Amino acid sequence: MSYSKTKVDAILNNGVSRRGFLKGLLASGAIASFPGGALARNEAINTKIPYLGKKSYETFRNACPRNCYDTCSIKSFVKDGVLQFIEGAQESTFTNGGCCVKGNSYVRRVYSPNRIKYPMMQVGGKGSGTWKRISWDEAMETIAKKMLALKKEDGNLLGAALTKYSGNFGITHYGVEGMFNSIGYTTRLAGTPCWPAGIDAQNFDMGNMWTNDPEEMKDSKYIILWGVNPAATSIHTMKYIYEAKKRGVKVVVIDPIFTETASKASEYIQVKVGSDGLLALGMAKIIVDAGMHDKKWLKKNSKGYAEFEKYLKTIDLNEVSKVTGLSLDLISDIALGFAKADPATVWIGYGIQRHSNGGSIVRAIDALVAVTGNIGKYAGGSRYGHLSTWGFNYHALSMPKPEGSVGYENAKTMGEFGHGAGGDAEKPKYNDRYLNINKTARELINATPKVKLLWVACKNVFAQDFNRQQMIKAFTSLDMVVVADQFFNETVKWADIVLPVATQFEEYDVNVSYWHYWLSLNEQAIKPLYEVKSDIEIAALLSKHMNRLEKDSCTYPQHLDTKKWTAKEFNKGIYDMFGIKSWKELSNGPVKAKDKVPYADGKFTTPSGKYEFYSEQAKEYGHTALPEYLPVREAYDKFRLTTPHSRFSLHSQFQNLDWMEDINPEPCIYVNPTDARVKRLHNNDLVAVFNKQGNLKVKVRITDNVPSGTVLMFEQWYNNKIYNVNELVDDTSSDMGSFKTGAPGVALHDTYVNLRKV
Amino acid sequence: MTKAMSSNSTQRLEKIEVLKNIFTSSNDKELWRGFKELKNDLEISQDSLEADFNRYFIGPDSPIASPYASIYLDKQEVVMSKSTEKVRELYDLMGLKNPLKDTQPEDFIGLELDAYYQLLFLEKEKNINYLHDFRLYFLFEHIQKWIFDFVEKIQSNEKESSAAINLIAQELKSCFENEIEHEGGL
Repeated sequence: MSYSKTKVDAILNNGVSRRGFLKGLLASGAIASFPGGALARNEAINTKIPYLGKKSYETFRNACPRNCYDTCSIKSFVKDGVLQFIEGAQESTFTNGGCCVKGNSYVRRVYSPNRIKYPMMQVGGKGSGTWKRISWDEAMETIAKKMLALKKEDGNLLGAALTKYSGNFGITHYGVEGMFNSIGYTTRLAGTPCWPAGIDAQNFDMGNMWTNDPEEMKDSKYIILWGVNPAATSIHTMKYIYEAKKRGVKVVVIDPIFTETASKASEYIQVKVGSDGLLALGMAKIIVDAGMHDKKWLKKNSKGYAEFEKYLKTIDLNEVSKVTGLSLDLISDIALGFAKADPATVWIGYGIQRHSNGGSIVRAIDALVAVTGNIGKYAGGSRYGHLSTWGFNYHALSMPKPEGSVGYENAKTMGEFGHGAGGDAEKPKYNDRYLNINKTARELINATPKVKLLWVACKNVFAQDFNRQQMIKAFTSLDMVVVADQFFNETVKWADIVLPVATQFEEYDVNVSYWHYWLSLNEQAIKPLYEVKSDIEIAALLSKHMNRLEKDSCTYPQHLDTKKWTAKEFNKGIYDMFGIKSWKELSNGPVKAKDKVPYADGKFTTPSGKYEFYSEQAKEYGHTALPEYLPVREAYDKFRLTTPHSRFSLHSQFQNLDWMEDINPEPCIYVNPTDARVKRLHNNDLVAVFNKQGNLKVKVRITDNVPSGTVLMFEQWYNNKIYNVNELVDDTSSDMGSFKTGAPGVALHDTYVNLRKV
Repeated sequence: MTKAMSSNSTQRLEKIEVLKNIFTSSNDKELWRGFKELKNDLEISQDSLEADFNRYFIGPDSPIASPYASIYLDKQEVVMSKSTEKVRELYDLMGLKNPLKDTQPEDFIGLELDAYYQLLFLEKEKNINYLHDFRLYFLFEHIQKWIFDFVEKIQSNEKESSAAINLIAQELKSCFENEIEHEGGL
């Protein structure tokens, strides 16, 4: 080898040698003689002695935009344009300087070699795996032409549908809905698979969904974590629960599954699935019978308490014990302990309301909390979620329809954020068409007029929507499916065009939480890798192509800057709520909303202005006016299948990263030892899990963390594995959701299956 | 192109240029043009070649063999890591710059082939040897350390393997075996 490694190393490691070498390089004429190619000649060589010591980091403010209680405020560290690591922001007492294991893997998400890098078209047909790389211009022109062709053929754009949900909760990402607003009246998959029955329940009871600050829980005197597993899904809240517990506060977990949180509790109560509503009513009855209800609060703040008390008299406590599977002594102990404590609080998980009787369960628990006067109280409350800090301008969303647009005449606005339609100040003659997101597959197949183009953003339809076999049928029946995503998944597999989307580190945005009360700026920390673009940049590009093909066919601006668009989301209300004068102050760190205890003034936004045990609105929507017990869906197969969230993923996000795959490499089904004996199953046996919907093959893990009669599979998606719980979960509705979100939720935990050893 | 070791500088340059053109292609036409220059008898259509190429190197599904040195050299299987930083520094010293800085990692095989081609061109076509040490340093201290693992990753893929991609891998292997031998490294 005729070269000097030592010489090159010296140039690399010594500033003076480097300067001398670079001066020589300039003199050699080498640079001008390069033929040029993908790498360009660097004519601007700096021959000053360079600093070769350790470089300092540039820091940026970011926020985790995932669908998570904790919505972490993040500080990111960048060197030479490369994201090096992130940490939780110290300024937020909630994030408290630490992210979860998923958040800590963000660098690996950004720099995963498996990211979608370029726009691509599946030229071999959906599911073929034959992909062609195309330019952004080709991609957007193809889509724009299809949209304009639909408009020409149908006289409207109802053939173009959008399904978008919580893959990125950044406020500017509502620009995806804005993009669809800007082309005309279209079809939207609306509603929410997440929390609709509970939202309706809390709105019937209190006129709003408005939770106490989780940071108050450290001062609660009795905490019931009901169907929620924050040790896995909201680790930052656990510190407040631990703090309370250290002071001797009783922390009770009520859950059919012995969860990570149950293992940390003072007491774990394994309630029978779907009987929680009756348990809450039984507890309320015990409290009232003992005269421990808060008569003063009830008299001043509630409507229909007398009727509710009368209804409680009909509750048979022996029946409560039988249905819930709990002894009366235990139920009494918990009920009276809760009533004695001041303040006492319940945190209601979202899984509870994913039953056919889910809304009624939430109403019953609300009632239990109200009976004890813990609504409107610091460190009390019936906690579920809130949107009180989400009062942004939704500038990216608010795009007018092109003049002369024709749409649907009998639609109403849908979506829990109340801006599903958006853009129109006055009630227009036409509206968008809304299809139920929780029945996406059948809606896409059956809609009239027919859906021909589907745009998917911030969502992995196949991982999150129900009835996979029907979904394949629905996707293959569409003329064109466009998916904007960061990674290949089963939804991309069934797409015609895939568009690469930026991570939060590659764009500006702003984020708040549906749980805590912090506001975080998300700054662009690095350049977008490869050819990825933010959702709103994609919208601008679509506008450019639509308007080039047909002038004024799209009202979306054709050029935009994500920083400027983030700034446009702020208003006086946000500034006042968070005590800042400008959004720019957020570059110093996240800020918290001024303290406010929900309903502390006794003002509820129900029709009566009071807490409504008796709700006429509930009655109007076909429910009982009182929070009465509603039995859960009857079994249609051998075992109940429950499909909760795993701590290693957030829905279908994160599990595909190598760190997660290392510690959680394959899916499994958890089976109770008694059921395993009956089925003659052993650990690691491969079983077929099947029902009327479909079947899956997974390995068995035997554990008494799940009760007999119930099996559990996490809902996450595994990269490169044929595993999708929606093969088995059908789209049967929960009882509530239509009032506030426009469509009922899904009773996904009321799925039943059988097992067979393979 | 023959598989015999070539010592002719024009042939060496041509071989690297063809591979560079293949790996820096951004559409089916550029890829096809590059592939045709390999002068092979394989029967494959332009569309099939691109589909195979994307399956192996581009996506949208996880590529079979990610074309970035850091994946093979660094502990962590990510792009933009230590190896990328080192290659970036080498380009800086060679007087080359990546117009896609911070968006396309410098250790992307297309860019590395381009850098190596330009360095060899300088010596063989322009008789400028100022960067000779840097070219060999790049070859022996960097390319040699990962390129054969990359080739191995391609060739060991048995599931739906592609004769066209295996040919490209073989050419890549022989190209750098030739370079290393020529420079006295074997």
